[in-house]
Amino acid sequence: MIELLLSIQLIIAVLAVTARKELAGVLALGLFSLVSTVLFYLMEAPDVALTEAAVGAGVTTLIFVWVLRHTRSVSGRVR
Amino acid sequence: MDPVKILIYIFSATTALSMVRVVLGPTVADRMVGLTVVASQVLGLLVLIAVDRKLTFYLDVALVYDIFGFIGILAITRYVGNREAHL
Repeated sequence: MIELLLSIQLIIAVLAVTARKELAGVLALGLFSLVSTVLFYLMEAPDVALTEAAVGAGVTTLIFVWVLRHTRSVSGRVR
Repeated sequence: MDPVKILIYIFSATTALSMVRVVLGPTVADRMVGLTVVASQVLGLLVLIAVDRKLTFYLDVALVYDIFGFIGILAITRYVGNREAHL
């Protein structure tokens, strides 16, 4: 089960790095932290899973989207 | 067989099917809806595992994930909505 989840995480990480659109990468990062929450949960570390759920799912996504709203891409178009 | 274990298997299978949409989804909106579906299914999965292991602290993880996941999804949805309005 843990090996399966780690393989899924590998696929999601490659997707997050190679995504063409910025928001798709942010969404892949959110899914990555979701899967790692489940991993910590299954490995009987619920306190680590709690922190990962709070920071990874909520705050990181919020900060990334906030940065995307306040920046422009290299070609000058508003994202 | 324990019905909770059967439910855990069903939720795992549907979560894997929903993750396919997040990975393959051609548009960003597809990925966004897929992430929302995966988040709610994983929430149910966390509660079911907590019931299966009979540990109450595991329920707190599900609670915190629900609150902060909602904030994250709200931020993404507002961003996409504002971008569509400006086009």
